[in-house]
Amino acid sequence: MSGADAIVIGAGINGLTAATVLVRAGRSVCVLEAAAQVGGMANPRIAHFLYNLSPLVRADLGLGRRDWPFATHPLPSVALDPGGRHVVLRGDEARLAGGGTPPEANAWRDMHARLTRYGAVLRQLAEAAPPGLEGGLTSAAGLKQMLRLGWFGIAMKRLGRRDMREFMRVLLSNAYDMILDEMPDGPLAGLLAADAVRGGAVGPRQPGTVLSLIYRMGHGGAVSLPAGGMATVTGAFERAARDAGCRIETGAQVTQIVIEGDAVRGVETADGRRFDAPLVLGSGGAAATCALAGPAHFDIEAQRRLRNIRARGTAAKLNLTLDALPEISGLPADLMGARMVLAPRADYVERAMNAAKYGEISDAPVIEMVIPSLTDATLARNGGHVLSAIVQCAPHDLSGGWNDAARDRLRDRALAALAEVAPGLPDLVTEAEVITPADIEAETGAPGGHWHHGELSLDQILTLRPASGMGRYAIGPNGLFLCGAGAHPGGDVMGLAGRNAARAALGAEGGR
Amino acid sequence: MSVMNDPALGLIPGPLHDRLEPLSRAKAWYGWAGYIAPAVLDTVEFEYFALRNQAALFDISPMHTYRVTGPGALAALNRMVTRDAAKIAPGRVAYCAWCDEDGMVIDDGTLFRLAEDDWRLCCQEPMLTWLLDATWGFDATVTDESDTLAGIALQGPTSFAVLEAAGFDLSDMRPFDHREVEPGLRISRTGFTGDLGYELWMDWNDAVAVWDRLWDADPRGGMRAIGSHALDIARIEAGFLAAGIDFQPVHATERLHRGQTPFELGLGWMVDWTKGHFNGRRALWQVRDRPRSRLLRVDVGGFKPARDALVYHAKRRAAGHITSAVWSPTAKRNIALAHVKAGALDRRKPDLWAEIYTAQEGRWDRRMARLTPLAGPFYKPPRARQTPPART
Amino acid sequence: MTQTEEYDAIVAGAGHNGLTAACYLARAGLRVLVVEKNDWIGGAAVSRSLHEGWTYSNCSYVCSLLRREIVRDLDLPKYGLQVIPYEGGASFTRDGGRFAYYSDADALRREMARLSPRDADAYRHYSRAIMRQCRFIRPFLLRDAPDPTSLRPRDLGELAYLVKKAHGLGRRELGETLRFWTMSIGDFLDDHFENDLIKAHLAGSGIIGTGLGVYSPGTAYVLLHHYMGDIDGGIGAWGFARGGMGAISGALAAAFKDMGGTIRTGAGVERFLVEDGRARGVALSDGAEFRAPVIASNMDVKRTFLEHTDPRDLPDDFRSQVERFKIRGSSAKLNIALDRLPDMPAAPEHASFIRGDLHASESLVELERAYDDWKDGRWSARPYIDMLIPSRIDPTLAPQGAEMMTVFVQYAPYDLYRNGIRSPGNWTGEARRAMADAVLDQIAVLFPDIRERIEHTEIRSPADIEREVGLTEGNIFQGELTFDQLLFNRPVPGYAQYDSPVKGLYLVGSSAHPGGGVMGAPGANAARTILRRETSGKRMKGYAA
Repeated sequence: MSGADAIVIGAGINGLTAATVLVRAGRSVCVLEAAAQVGGMANPRIAHFLYNLSPLVRADLGLGRRDWPFATHPLPSVALDPGGRHVVLRGDEARLAGGGTPPEANAWRDMHARLTRYGAVLRQLAEAAPPGLEGGLTSAAGLKQMLRLGWFGIAMKRLGRRDMREFMRVLLSNAYDMILDEMPDGPLAGLLAADAVRGGAVGPRQPGTVLSLIYRMGHGGAVSLPAGGMATVTGAFERAARDAGCRIETGAQVTQIVIEGDAVRGVETADGRRFDAPLVLGSGGAAATCALAGPAHFDIEAQRRLRNIRARGTAAKLNLTLDALPEISGLPADLMGARMVLAPRADYVERAMNAAKYGEISDAPVIEMVIPSLTDATLARNGGHVLSAIVQCAPHDLSGGWNDAARDRLRDRALAALAEVAPGLPDLVTEAEVITPADIEAETGAPGGHWHHGELSLDQILTLRPASGMGRYAIGPNGLFLCGAGAHPGGDVMGLAGRNAARAALGAEGGR
Repeated sequence: MSVMNDPALGLIPGPLHDRLEPLSRAKAWYGWAGYIAPAVLDTVEFEYFALRNQAALFDISPMHTYRVTGPGALAALNRMVTRDAAKIAPGRVAYCAWCDEDGMVIDDGTLFRLAEDDWRLCCQEPMLTWLLDATWGFDATVTDESDTLAGIALQGPTSFAVLEAAGFDLSDMRPFDHREVEPGLRISRTGFTGDLGYELWMDWNDAVAVWDRLWDADPRGGMRAIGSHALDIARIEAGFLAAGIDFQPVHATERLHRGQTPFELGLGWMVDWTKGHFNGRRALWQVRDRPRSRLLRVDVGGFKPARDALVYHAKRRAAGHITSAVWSPTAKRNIALAHVKAGALDRRKPDLWAEIYTAQEGRWDRRMARLTPLAGPFYKPPRARQTPPART
Repeated sequence: MTQTEEYDAIVAGAGHNGLTAACYLARAGLRVLVVEKNDWIGGAAVSRSLHEGWTYSNCSYVCSLLRREIVRDLDLPKYGLQVIPYEGGASFTRDGGRFAYYSDADALRREMARLSPRDADAYRHYSRAIMRQCRFIRPFLLRDAPDPTSLRPRDLGELAYLVKKAHGLGRRELGETLRFWTMSIGDFLDDHFENDLIKAHLAGSGIIGTGLGVYSPGTAYVLLHHYMGDIDGGIGAWGFARGGMGAISGALAAAFKDMGGTIRTGAGVERFLVEDGRARGVALSDGAEFRAPVIASNMDVKRTFLEHTDPRDLPDDFRSQVERFKIRGSSAKLNIALDRLPDMPAAPEHASFIRGDLHASESLVELERAYDDWKDGRWSARPYIDMLIPSRIDPTLAPQGAEMMTVFVQYAPYDLYRNGIRSPGNWTGEARRAMADAVLDQIAVLFPDIRERIEHTEIRSPADIEREVGLTEGNIFQGELTFDQLLFNRPVPGYAQYDSPVKGLYLVGSSAHPGGGVMGAPGANAARTILRRETSGKRMKGYAA
């Protein structure tokens, strides 16, 4: 039996962040990770980019304000066009891969500026616990909340009246209309539509998808590839935690959260060990965390809400090993290392995502990919390359279930779609690893294999995340907190959920 | 082809309708959970006095009944109800209430422990979704018995004698005991009248046979079948609450805060803080000594029942309302249950009045009647608890 | 010769909202002229005789949303309005199954229990949840939507009212409300029910008239939009206006004339006359001109500002916002004269639900696939139908022994796809008949002999509805009921209080808050605003004030 001030279950980005925040606040913390390695969904087999890591998290973890402990390589984005008129995005600049300016360039510049502005406003909400619904100005906590909302209001006001109106209109709108209001349908519109639905079980015509697009742009929207891959990132988080004095145990599966007298007492692991702590933060799904404590410790309505959380992952990962570098017609060699998105039109994306509704694999999937071996030579073996792709839509609840035949089907459809822009690619493949949402769930415990442990839809954000009444990290008995992507504000290797949860836990100590 | 001929519409007969229909002289029916139920069969007075003086039969089959079984049933039910269900031994039954997450009462009812892992819940409101939610995650199964389990309430001072004459030896049965007296027939010493009484539980299809057996056994011939009106007088005398009348089952409210906590309903004694978590516990703990109102048993001045009256403090300030009121023919008292706002009760001596409207030959009058809060039921005969019970 | 006459206010379009606004203005003492392009009045609330002996409510077909405050203020029953509630409804499956939605609560519970005992119990919770939302929203219908960017006392006051109402809900209900308003009807139903047919039956109201699918967020609100009405206080009840929906416009028109108002039909507004940024009058298609300092347009926002207002009189920004306002055609209509009641073999004898709304959609997935068809510019292979036989209740609509059937059809695109082109021009006679055929196949699920019973059919594609009624794309709400187009965003942020950049030019139709349906609220709210802003000392009186 051993003890700590706090136990964090799961050593993903959010779990490690929560642990480090706690330990830096002077608490002794023990992180228990079921898998053999840390990182959770930021595992390089599953994730490939960094675009949303919060500077607040970096600061709180002592990762250095200016210098990253890992080098990152900013990537341009290429909207692939089967017709060869690929559009290259660098920040707010759009150019044609073959030279020249696409007709959407101006529209993109304006939209980029607007969405980045809105993202900055919304980031304020992401950087703190969501406002509670208890309301009332009578308590200090209530006042603090009103104050925060006041700041948010001021930030909105500072957009100016016209922009504020547009913000309030577009916020709840759908990405498809917003994009096509500004530009004709084509590769750029397709790329944006794809970014708006990535990881989710929605099509771009669904209201709320503008918000998910803005969410991606909350930290500027620049996509970067960490040198050494995502393993460098998870390694840095692990080191930050350990350096701060955190104990991290891998291969330690928590089987029970021990509750006595309506308060957390610690956890038990599969190997029969018990860890005592008055504080437990779970970075897995909300329902799974409750299940670890046992249903008897939660209200019936709360559990019903947890059961009703929508978390159907739709993004599969396809890792290809290639004999040689493929050729993409019309794309210069220096752009082969870019982030490439195959989504030729917004309505292509909508159609691909139809499949999510019916438990089917898309006939023509949306693919985001990168060839990291171009940037990191260590990944290329024998002159070959590796290609990392996220393929949508491959729903977690595939009808008929995920088996080898289904995996092959997904691989074949993805390769067929890629052949439209890179006809020679399928013949270069020597190995293909398909990681389905079901696999992701099995490996990481992420509900439904969903990137955010729960759809980032309007009815599942802010105070309603993961569910009404549980929006401020504390759930059920005293001392139990959620700190994973299922909590506000969500995932994306951002770290804010873990950070906010740790701060909520610190604030609640000795409370209730 | 009139539109009124649709056979799917309307109330349907319950298991004992074939017996009740010929007994009904008043033809005064009402709908109870979709079944045709008697409000009055003959005369409220005679039905009431049969109940208080000899014995009365009342069909309780429309009650909602659910079976919860399995090794996790106790844990699930204990998370649901406010009392400690672990203290209910097999063969015992307890009156329980259960709350939503805000601590508002959803319903009350009787919880039977049939065997170690076998429970039955009888209540007024439909509860299937709730029980399925409540047992989710536990190793327990819920079966809705509402349309398959029939019930007959036999109540009154000669009820023991009637059962004895019908061939049941229940002399050792204490209040809140129950047992299966014959295969498929369970008898519990429970009731909604505050008097000596039993409830008999059997399959829907066996109800008529059991009814006939009791009907034919009555040694004194004074037993009557009764309707809900007579029963209602008795239950007010006993001080029992009726769902939808004396409290608002919170699932049936449109405004969630119109629900009431057990403390507000005088059911605080059923809240067990020591047994671990139960639904609404955290919310209830916050408000345990801050009831917004209280349900009081009151003696009403004068002789006019205070039905539907508003309650005033010092005759001036609105302070609540009467939920149930009746002239008690047995206690010879004008009695009522009243919801009174906490503000009016803070004073040392609450100065409460009911504003009663009366009509006589088309002439309406208004009078203020003083309300005197009482502790305990209005009527509680010792025979109700005596074991073995008396035959008269 | 041009005639020019002066009025205090001119209303462009004699739809129910235009007439409602006209009534309130006339009632306050203004001289009001209503001009209408068609030879008849009513807009989308009409009763038309297109086949001898039958009367069709050939656009809107049932009534619930019409605010009772308006009915009472304008004393519409005196002018012939009578609304009769209808009873229940049913959904049928291809294999002969059915779910009957009885208005009798006990019968409904038993019917649900036949399909799923759990759902029968869950329905209690579901209907309470819906009622809770109805209760929350109803007070807002006859109020202005506050401008959250404004610091004017009125806007702050309205905002404070909203905050107060929301706060009054308490934590749990507020959470429930936020979630409800942002979720899809499909998800909401999946939360509560397990049976596909029950879910399909209840989902219909979440998509009627919209360009959204049952799994699109925001459709729970659309359902609410169809439930928040009432008949005589029976919230959620729907009924027939005796004599067809034209009885509503007819009563409004009669009330209006009784107050001294003038209605001129047969020529619509060609152009709103604007001088120095201020509305001065209207020029009609027949060359006539009328002048007034207040012009109220019952046309939708696109028609009003993009087609009938000189672009030079509007800021570019405003025009582009109007262009972006989404008005999407998604529904069609069949009005059918039947020689007698068709056989309904899947229904029991004496089924009362024949007097209610009938459907043939089996599951949410089927409904969602119907939406997918529409997104691609096709009418749904298996469209959702909302079908009623009003003549079963209203004896005035068809000859004795014969019946009148109204079939609302969803989804049908406005810009139909054909040979690589999406265009309303693709709605040829042939296309309309093919669409009707798909609908008749759906009807045949309930009424196998439907084709033999038909005496006459009026087929109305979205393009037809647009052409005749003037609703852009044939959209029944004058604009999608999505979050980005509700409250202070409807129709254009900054102009959500019925006004426009042109002083004196107001919107009174359902492009404005609170949106469509035969509700009358936009008309009444607009009239209130007009009286407050344009007259000195004249205030609207009545329950809608």
